[in-house]
Amino acid sequence: MFCLTALAVETIPPAPAHYFNDYAGVVSAATAAQLNQRLEQFERDSSCQIVVAIYPRMQSDSAIEDYTVRVAQAWKVGQQDKKNGAVLFVFTQDRKLFIQTGYGLEGALPDAICKRIIAEEITPGFKAGNFDAGLTAGVNAMLAAAKGEYKGTGQTVARNHHHQSGLPVVFVVVFVVIFILIVLSNLRRGGYYSRSGWSGSGWGGGWSSGGGGGFSSGGGSSGGGFSGGGGSFGGGGAGGSW
Amino acid sequence: MKKLAIGCGVLVVLGIAALIVIGVAGGSYNHLVKLSQGINSQWAQVQNVYQRRADLVPNLVATVSGAANFEKSTLTEITAARASVGQIKLDPNNAPTDQAKLAEFDHAQGALSSALSRLLVVSERYPDLKAGASFRDLQAQLEGTENRIAVERGRFNDAVQAYNTAVKSFPAVFYAGLFGFKEKPYFAATPGADKPPQVQFDFNQK
Repeated sequence: MFCLTALAVETIPPAPAHYFNDYAGVVSAATAAQLNQRLEQFERDSSCQIVVAIYPRMQSDSAIEDYTVRVAQAWKVGQQDKKNGAVLFVFTQDRKLFIQTGYGLEGALPDAICKRIIAEEITPGFKAGNFDAGLTAGVNAMLAAAKGEYKGTGQTVARNHHHQSGLPVVFVVVFVVIFILIVLSNLRRGGYYSRSGWSGSGWGGGWSSGGGGGFSSGGGSSGGGFSGGGGSFGGGGAGGSW
Repeated sequence: MKKLAIGCGVLVVLGIAALIVIGVAGGSYNHLVKLSQGINSQWAQVQNVYQRRADLVPNLVATVSGAANFEKSTLTEITAARASVGQIKLDPNNAPTDQAKLAEFDHAQGALSSALSRLLVVSERYPDLKAGASFRDLQAQLEGTENRIAVERGRFNDAVQAYNTAVKSFPAVFYAGLFGFKEKPYFAATPGADKPPQVQFDFNQK
């Protein structure tokens, strides 16, 4: 019974939409945008996904290390094959924070380094009430430690997803266009079409040029958001309070 | 002629039925194999994280015994617990099938857990030790390792639970024993045994 109520209390928040997520409203918009941009660039350069999530309080009765590993695992931060994700969780009203490192970043961000980043880079700023400074220093230190461990592809998972989901949409549009053209041509011919009318009127050309153009322009305009790559976490990392 | 046709029809129906049975049984057999292998790989993870902790002990003992007249009894206790953990050899690639063996393993690891948490409590009395960078790093590693142990143990228990449920469910329940799929033991959730020792580093704030 106890166990059931404890489970009921815990909430795993949905995967964040960005790399830097301030749900507590403690960081200036400029700093948040700048850090988000740097973290996104880091995924392009290194394929490592490093995410910052700031909440007012923990939505669980569990210990912070226990809760945050479940959240990070649910968000699948990091690439699936490399498991190179890390999440910095901050709970402002609980005055607690935790860095969860994925299996693949335990070498670059061992527990002792995480503990030092928290004690020497992040919490001094937090103690002074300056979240911007603490988080900027913390992100800098995490990026510096994780740099060089993996090679990037110049892409992010969010962008690749966009490519994949963009493809069927383009096809649907092409189909609709073809369908309308067929209907129009049939109307002109007086109500119905023959087999020769379908195959012989050159829709093949319209198909390939439309598909190609739509695809590349769709890919070029995307980017920005965060999407987990399928990474997993084994409880590595360190926490602290301020 | 008509009888022959009916006979053929019955045979075809029986054949299709047999194929369906074989298909279903085969599918569930493969499912059991997959679950069982999942347990083995998760068991390897469990062994990994316990080994990681065992590897930390010599470093920890060396660092702590460097502190001026550190309590000897705590160190002896740790070394003994570490030695008894090392004596229990379980196959790292195959999850234990014997509840008693797993309990023995768990018991020895539990003794090391409590010896380690006592050592950290005692070390609070040595400010010079606590202030040292190497001790702080070891503390962080130890905390992280205890957390990893909790995570991997939990996932091991989840994997065993899924397997045990499948073994006891239809249709596997009819043939699981025949093919050697037996229920597997998991870590007992006895009070305190499945939890990492509560290492409280800030408790001397008086």
